[in-house]
Amino acid sequence: MAGGALTQKAGEIEAALLACAAGDKSALRRIYDAESARMIGVAQRLLKRRALAEEAVQDAFVLIWRHAARFDPQRGAGLTWIYAILRNRSLSILRDEKRTETSDAPVSEEAASEEDDPETVMSKLSDAKALHACLETLPPQRRGLVLLAFVQGLTHGEIAGRLKLPIGTVKSSIRRSLMSLKECLG
Amino acid sequence: MSPSTDLNGTPQERDALAGEYVLGLVEGADRTALEQRIEREPALAASVESWRGHLAAIDATARPIPPSPGLWPRIEAEIAAILPAAERGRLKALKAGNTLADWWNSLFIWRGAALAGALAAILLAIGLNGALDRARRQPLMVAVLLTDTNVAAAVVNTFADGRVEMVPLQNIAVPEGKALEIWTLWDRAVGPRSVGLIDRARTTPLRLDQLPLGKDQLFEITIENATGSPTGRPTGPIVAKGTTSQAL
Repeated sequence: MAGGALTQKAGEIEAALLACAAGDKSALRRIYDAESARMIGVAQRLLKRRALAEEAVQDAFVLIWRHAARFDPQRGAGLTWIYAILRNRSLSILRDEKRTETSDAPVSEEAASEEDDPETVMSKLSDAKALHACLETLPPQRRGLVLLAFVQGLTHGEIAGRLKLPIGTVKSSIRRSLMSLKECLG
Repeated sequence: MSPSTDLNGTPQERDALAGEYVLGLVEGADRTALEQRIEREPALAASVESWRGHLAAIDATARPIPPSPGLWPRIEAEIAAILPAAERGRLKALKAGNTLADWWNSLFIWRGAALAGALAAILLAIGLNGALDRARRQPLMVAVLLTDTNVAAAVVNTFADGRVEMVPLQNIAVPEGKALEIWTLWDRAVGPRSVGLIDRARTTPLRLDQLPLGKDQLFEITIENATGSPTGRPTGPIVAKGTTSQAL
């Protein structure tokens, strides 16, 4: 995504959120037209199943509509606000599923698409982004832990299980990686 | 329990905690407590926002998946029952919220009690409809709306072509300056939606448009102002109510 297009898109999202707060449903539809496909993609990475991903996106749009008046452009960008709502909702569904599901295998044990492997995600990340350069400074395994958590919604325990590492090691490694990243990102 | 959540420590620790939160690694009670701190501490909130901004680049790598055609109608149906934020503030002053929800919930208890009466009335209603025009007007689903004394006051018919109509089975007294408003409820979390407003009991088409329509969906008639309920929710006395069943 080019920086210019992103900035323009972000401005439109913010204008649409203000219109939603005033009760304009066509503004919600504009956000839907612009973002729903990407949102389903993000939710599906976390939830693996298409039906659950659509459920998360449906809930996210209802929450966006309900809370549009709370969006404050002074505190952050409209697009990050929308994706924060989507991610929160997806993670709640993901954790709930794990608690309640009895017959099916838990979502977290379902195979993630290869597309969502940390190194594949890394390769898709625009070189132009500061995040890309800063992730590059981390050893591959440590950056993998950060990406597994964010992209697939895995908990410390799940990452530990999957990579056969002690949970304490996973926690401290992610923590150190975040501190390095923050220093690099500024 | 993450040891990180009770740290008020260095800026580095604060940023790492904010990062863990944005990654989704802070869970349960820790998460709730942290969200309260984010509300109170601007530096922490700024750090969370900064992480979100940077990590958004990862979300941008997700492969877009076109939504299924039903997704937007489902969203629309859900938000149709939510008043715009501007109106919600005004309505809070009316203090309608909780009492209204309690009242509406109580309908579901009432529903069970009326079931036996409803079954008998459904058979009656199907007979009536058949007599009207058997060939063309075979309803898919029927709801018989009963008064609180279990008298069938009206029937709601749904048809294969999407039409929905309400047919009164008896005269309904409407006070001066009032009207009959017809409501449907398919999900208590969404709440009731108005689907028709008539000045007196007469056969009327109901506007369900994009709203869901299924079995066991509640329909109800209340007495409201001539221009309809001022709140968008039922406020007046209930004339009759009933739930849909599959026609035989």
